[in-house]
Amino acid sequence: MAFEPREPQKELKYDELRIYTDEELNNYTEEELKNFKIKHDIPDVEELEKGPWPSFVADAKREALHRQKLPEDRMMIARECVEDLLGQLQLSFDDGETHWKHGGIVGVFGYGGGVIGRYSDVPEKYPSIAHFHTMRVNQPASKFYNTDYLRSICDLWEYRGSGLMNMHGSTGDIIFLGTFTEQLEPIFYELTHVLQQDLGGSGSNLRTPSCCVGRARCEWACFDTQDMCYELTHYYQDELHRPAFPYKFKFKFDGCPNCCVASIARADMSFIGTWRDEIRIDQEAVQAYINGEIAPNGGAHAGKDWGKFDIQKEVIDLCPTKCMRMEDGKLVIDNKECTRCMHCINVMPQALRPGTDTGVSILFGAKAPILEGAQMSMLTIPFMKVEPPYDNVKELIEKVWDWWMEEGKNRERLGELIQRYGVPKFLEVIEVPPMPQMVKEPRSNPYIFWKEEDVPGGWQRDIKDYRAKHKR
Amino acid sequence: MEDIKKAIIEFAESSKKTKFYFKDLEKAVQKTLPDVKARQIKKAATELINEGKLIYFSTGSTTMYGLKGRGVTEDH
Repeated sequence: MAFEPREPQKELKYDELRIYTDEELNNYTEEELKNFKIKHDIPDVEELEKGPWPSFVADAKREALHRQKLPEDRMMIARECVEDLLGQLQLSFDDGETHWKHGGIVGVFGYGGGVIGRYSDVPEKYPSIAHFHTMRVNQPASKFYNTDYLRSICDLWEYRGSGLMNMHGSTGDIIFLGTFTEQLEPIFYELTHVLQQDLGGSGSNLRTPSCCVGRARCEWACFDTQDMCYELTHYYQDELHRPAFPYKFKFKFDGCPNCCVASIARADMSFIGTWRDEIRIDQEAVQAYINGEIAPNGGAHAGKDWGKFDIQKEVIDLCPTKCMRMEDGKLVIDNKECTRCMHCINVMPQALRPGTDTGVSILFGAKAPILEGAQMSMLTIPFMKVEPPYDNVKELIEKVWDWWMEEGKNRERLGELIQRYGVPKFLEVIEVPPMPQMVKEPRSNPYIFWKEEDVPGGWQRDIKDYRAKHKR
Repeated sequence: MEDIKKAIIEFAESSKKTKFYFKDLEKAVQKTLPDVKARQIKKAATELINEGKLIYFSTGSTTMYGLKGRGVTEDH
């Protein structure tokens, strides 16, 4: 299905939008970088450069040198901000505590999210980072953008911010790190009016929805993750920008159970693509894998000789529900036992493919560690068909929000509310019957209780009638 | 809508606190106007924000509402 934008999209041309010349962007040599010293002494921070991974300290030094060599009138906030940032980090290491003040009234007009206030508590020492607000930019679905777009936002942030950014935050947004309050509105204007780009979510809002690469590039995607992400982002604009929830709420869309955006670990409501028919098997390709004609795992792990591919050891024995076997030289799968772990499909992608009757599984209640440690989301709706305009999904979302907004305590995530009230209450709210799979330990967690109206005859019985058959 | 806005402002002015969770606003409004639903309160709060009478206060993870000019100012 071709992408149909909600409003006409103009093509961004970097040559028309650019702020800096090529000379200004490439204004230092590697030799200069080698000899460059920032204005603060930062021995502990520099330790971080010595590890095996690329270091943000090395990146920040490049940016510091770049800003030092730009003319003063080519930046709207102080050129030393990156150097002061590293200096304050060293001070925090020395003192063993942070020097950031957290939160504030900063924001753009009418929006309750997208900007996170940060202030230094030692501004006289590091004046250029007295304000160092973060802005979240709502990434395009699956993070598809072209270089014209990327270069344009980089120029904007160099000019009106620190030039430092995260690609991307864990919710998926592009994160602009560090600017002053007076720059927020001009940046917002440029983003929305020129770059056709919205801010993302922060605070007690719906957070920026995010999705995997989906059908754009992946043959396993069981639904159009990008379309659903785009539709729900637009449909729930008010929830994204005007906070009225007890706490954050995240949607994430994974096209298949490989869960590339980790919806099962991070989203209050995870949508994971699945199928309800059978895994498609190409028996000839299975043989080709067994005979070594096709490299397993799509050719990954090829840097070492792992020996001949052994389907029994590498696929069948690793199936978590033991639902596969070889019979007369053919691979057989007992599909009703398949738990959608994706291992066999990942190892033999040319031989095995997800079924064709596809939709989503919906899970609720994940969160990163806050109160009671990390929590995965719970499979609640095993299968739902999803087609635009996703009215069935919206109806479910709103039932969940109404309950959470009514009953949730301040700063209580959906998963914590479900724990507090119990799963049966949650199932009652969303009108879904319980399944045996939801009971983790039947003896310690017998959470499915009968109600009088569900039992024929209710709680009343005729004791004489009973005694006629059962002696005391 | 005007009733709800009035109830919000009255609560915000009289409270000892200067920052409120949305739930605080909701409870306060429902004390005087018991039939009002959360969605209407949110709409009224949004209007007050747009009129510049209320402001958002965000820590990054949680958002609160405040009365403009009371408590923390924009510079802190």
